[in-house]
Amino acid sequence: MKLDITALGTFYDMAREGAGLAAGRLTRMTDVETRVGITKLNFMRGSEIRTEFEDGIPKVGVRVELSGGLDGHSLILFERDAALRVVSALVEEASADEFDDMSRSAATEVGQIMNAGFIDGWADVLGTAIDVSTPEFIEGETAEPFLGDLEEAPTDDDLALLFQSQIEAVDTEIGFKHYLFPEQESMADILEQHTDDDSRGIEYDKLAGFDEMAQQGAREAASNITTLTGIDTGVQIRRLKFASLAAIPQEIDDEMLVGVAFELDGTPSGYLLFLFDEASAREVVEATIPNPPEDEFGELGESAIKELGNIMASGFIDGWANVLDTTIDHSPPEYIHDYGAAVIDPVIIGLGENQDFAFVFDTVIRSEDREFDCSIYAIPDEADLERALNNLDIEKIEDAETKADFPIDEVENA
Amino acid sequence: MKTYGSEPGAPEPVQVGISEFVVRGKESTETLKSYGLGSCLAIALYDPDSGIGGLAHVMLPDGDTADGADTQPGKYADTAIRAMLRRMVEKGAAYTSVEAKIAGGSDMFEFESFGDGVGNRNVAAAKEELGKLGVPIIGEDVGGQRGRTVEFDVGTGTLQIRTADGDRGVTEL
Repeated sequence: MKLDITALGTFYDMAREGAGLAAGRLTRMTDVETRVGITKLNFMRGSEIRTEFEDGIPKVGVRVELSGGLDGHSLILFERDAALRVVSALVEEASADEFDDMSRSAATEVGQIMNAGFIDGWADVLGTAIDVSTPEFIEGETAEPFLGDLEEAPTDDDLALLFQSQIEAVDTEIGFKHYLFPEQESMADILEQHTDDDSRGIEYDKLAGFDEMAQQGAREAASNITTLTGIDTGVQIRRLKFASLAAIPQEIDDEMLVGVAFELDGTPSGYLLFLFDEASAREVVEATIPNPPEDEFGELGESAIKELGNIMASGFIDGWANVLDTTIDHSPPEYIHDYGAAVIDPVIIGLGENQDFAFVFDTVIRSEDREFDCSIYAIPDEADLERALNNLDIEKIEDAETKADFPIDEVENA
Repeated sequence: MKTYGSEPGAPEPVQVGISEFVVRGKESTETLKSYGLGSCLAIALYDPDSGIGGLAHVMLPDGDTADGADTQPGKYADTAIRAMLRRMVEKGAAYTSVEAKIAGGSDMFEFESFGDGVGNRNVAAAKEELGKLGVPIIGEDVGGQRGRTVEFDVGTGTLQIRTADGDRGVTEL
């Protein structure tokens, strides 16, 4: 399957439009004012999807199977409590604690109308009809009941393309997630139909292979933190997403962040950021300076963070450069201590002159035994990434995969 | 950010995300808010006579030479100003009494690819466009190396600016 950037962009916009339609329908049904949160086109491995579902919160979902113009499944997922609240807004005599026949059918109806919002959006853009099966109502706490029986749900190491949207109700806790799992073959056909003739696109397998190999860079960065600070860390989440530039800062917490940014020069060029919340940054400063200063974010602290950033950047980039067989240089570190979104918007603007969308390689490094977080954002220049991946020899990835037989658990917990 | 449905009783600030702009009429008691502007620029336009105002959160300087400006005028300083002004006039604002306040456009990174500064370019583009249209800038808090969060009160035309470094606290324009 070839990923054409223009086609992906069209689909991304459409998924966001679909979220708007679904939100509008929910509002009309329940009188709850809603807003559309973030829409993502994610490339996720099965293991990551499962981790995302397994947050200990009971959920209910309304799932339909799609066929015709697009094959796959569409799933509206809500927290169980939120679903019960919505149902009680619709059906006066509904039980507030559990789903009986009536509330189940009301919830299914809500989910179905929202699913239809998304699907109508797709059918519009694709210019074809999409057939929708009878909705299924599902309850559960893990990914298994929702996705276990889906063919297109990826196995642990498979990279699946999926669309995720969030819809929030203003002033309440009610929130919904929408997942669209297209069947790969069907997605490949659709992408092909919407591909620009002049575009080279990116081979899906190469992107998946590169992403797999790029994990090494993330692990390297985690192990750098551990070595320098003595804090046990590992890679907790790794995601590859395709998003509009404007949406990227929205995903970053609005809290104050401390970090370093680098400009990358090579194939690919782009930007690399390491961001800590203030408490984690304080830990870094305290662990790396023998007599920590009173103000952790003064000159001494700044140079400690920069130093760690420098080491992590080299490790991270080496991982990439090795797979791609290129050289990538990085600029000196630029220190930042600011609002989350403000930290990343200059980078988005830097890329925005030439592209509207970006692939974001996003990693969260976390400590098992204490509160410690570091987020890594690697955002390559899109045209450069395309070039780099097109030059990538797929055999080299397979080669590297067989060589990389180090015990992953150990590395992650190192 | 787009919201759907009825206006709530005690309004939360309306979020104006990157590349968006929001215009509110004279009866509005809402505030418009943009979080964490780094090199992005907030442009507030206000007609004190009619009480109509708007806030844009622009990302890039020049939409006239870019492709996507038709579908996303809010993304660029020049096209956002014109689109917002047009919307305000449609709502009953008098072109000649509209005033502007701008905030943001920091340059926190000295990267080679940023040239003379991406924030700087946004500020210059906004000033140029406002100049061309004859809209006076009556307040500005731009440049530097810190992020800003801005909140625009459409009832009064006040633009409140918070910076991340505690020393400066809150500025009002």
